[in-house]
Amino acid sequence: MNYTAISMFFLFVGITLVITVWASRRTKTRSDFYAAGSSIGGLQNGLAIAGDFMSAATFLGVTALVYSTGMDAILFIIGGTLGWAVILLLVAERLRNLGKYTFSDVVAFRLERKPVRTMSAIGSLAVAIPYLLAQMVGAGALIQILFGLPYEVAVVMVGVLMTMYVMFGGMLATTWIQTIKAVLLLIAGTIIGLGVMSMMNYDFGALITAAVSEHPKGAAIMVPGVMFTDIITVISIALAFVFGTAGLPHVLMRFFTVPDALQARRSVAYAIGFIGYFQSLIFIIGLGAIVYVTNNPEFLTADGGLIGGSNMSAVHLSKVIGGDLFLGFVSAVAFATILAVVSGLTLSAAAAVSHDLYANVICHGDADRDTELKISRITTLVIGMMTMGLAILLEGENVAVLALIALAIAASVNFPVMFLSMYWSRFTTRGALAGGYAGLATALILVLLGPTVWVTLFGFDKPIFPYRYPTLFAMLANLGCAYWFSVTDKSHRAFAESESYDAQWIQSEIGPLEEQS
Amino acid sequence: MLSQLDKEILINKDFQQLVKVRRRVSWSFLMFLLGLYSAFGFLSIYSPAVLARPVFAGGIVPFGVLMGYAILASAFIITLIYVWISNNYFVPLEKKVIDAIKAGTRT
Repeated sequence: MNYTAISMFFLFVGITLVITVWASRRTKTRSDFYAAGSSIGGLQNGLAIAGDFMSAATFLGVTALVYSTGMDAILFIIGGTLGWAVILLLVAERLRNLGKYTFSDVVAFRLERKPVRTMSAIGSLAVAIPYLLAQMVGAGALIQILFGLPYEVAVVMVGVLMTMYVMFGGMLATTWIQTIKAVLLLIAGTIIGLGVMSMMNYDFGALITAAVSEHPKGAAIMVPGVMFTDIITVISIALAFVFGTAGLPHVLMRFFTVPDALQARRSVAYAIGFIGYFQSLIFIIGLGAIVYVTNNPEFLTADGGLIGGSNMSAVHLSKVIGGDLFLGFVSAVAFATILAVVSGLTLSAAAAVSHDLYANVICHGDADRDTELKISRITTLVIGMMTMGLAILLEGENVAVLALIALAIAASVNFPVMFLSMYWSRFTTRGALAGGYAGLATALILVLLGPTVWVTLFGFDKPIFPYRYPTLFAMLANLGCAYWFSVTDKSHRAFAESESYDAQWIQSEIGPLEEQS
Repeated sequence: MLSQLDKEILINKDFQQLVKVRRRVSWSFLMFLLGLYSAFGFLSIYSPAVLARPVFAGGIVPFGVLMGYAILASAFIITLIYVWISNNYFVPLEKKVIDAIKAGTRT
């Protein structure tokens, strides 16, 4: 039992509950619930966006990747940052200018509302739910190790808290929780990074030399190729990061919490600063873990493995740097990270159901405000209960596949459809549906037939599809179908949709005119 | 299908300028960054030795690590440049377009 961790964690939960109560009093309209009343400033939104990205997967997972593979992890570190450049340069301002609460608003701007919204809501849910489950299962295991709580108790705690944040506090509470956590995580990362560098007398070369001499693979960790050996895998991973980030519904939702395109641009700029800084720390933290954790008997199990698996390398390192007190702080921050990210995901899933499916598909776009809000709260509750149940059933399963599916679908369903609707005048409803569903089906089938599911989960000898990551093929399937079914679409609807592109294009460039006057 | 207002904006010289320059700026920045990233990806498969070689003869830090940090730094610098161009060039141009259109509708 680590009492520092527990008391710091309860302090964080206490503060977030106070924020939720405060936010619930201010959450009355749809705009409040989905977009915090579009009242968040650029700096805070930048922190919140960075917080969404700096999940447990980045902090613990990428550190673990550096810890076990060395230079190969740089591909992930750069990719994670460049995804934000895509958002800044191509998406952020246009998204803010065209949409209201979800990215489906943009896709449905000139295309036929019902089928297109249904498709992008499915895309959002297909990203949010697996990602949510991956975080929950990871959280349960992590909390079990950090706090000594049983797995089920940990999952229920995370589930109940995230449901409360979202149901009562909506986007306002979610944003504040994400902001606070981002600041805490940046502080924790900075202290660990500085701690490692100071033990090395601020000599980066010495850190690398020490890591090479401590790592069981030795000098091989400073040569790429420990993990990746074929170009298809590298391209798929790069595409998943660079374009998948711009297809994550919970991240895209954040651009509606700022008042205008100018603040949207400012928020990504801040976010890139924070994320780039954090990513560069991760490499140092990972190397530090190699030096101070790999051969430290305190952190090893009887058979020589790392206690809690390689995901715990950053946490163990924090004990080396600051003893039990700092270990407690980092554990509490890791827990807070999971809580904040699952809340954002839950909100985006709830919005896909209540705003896209209920209000726009079932009610044809004129849903009653109170009913829509009630639906989104009920959806939140259902998603919370469902993910808690599934996460308990999935205890001990390999959940890497879930995160993999989520990012692949974001890159091969949501992003291409949104991108084409913004930039290509001849994109039609038929093309959007063909492309979106083709991307979704390809991504799911290839993951099913690939090594992760076919071999690891089903126990067959050889995978039917040889690559772990389906992104390259699924993106091509989407773009190919979207292109072909758009250019061959000679219907009146297709003609009208191309006609209305100019109006959409003008609004995407300079914003809605009525707001300006 | 276009409203009278939209038609006016489409023929507005400042609007055309804004769209043209912004498109050129954002795509060339993006291609630059993606080019660097692709170079890293291809090197890591086809000639890992280049990335593993020390930056300075006899030094320790491998070229791949330096390149990784350099790409992170260029992403940040490009962000700063883009925001600067936006604030000093695109935003005033946008205002000009909107003012011109508003003045047009009033008369």
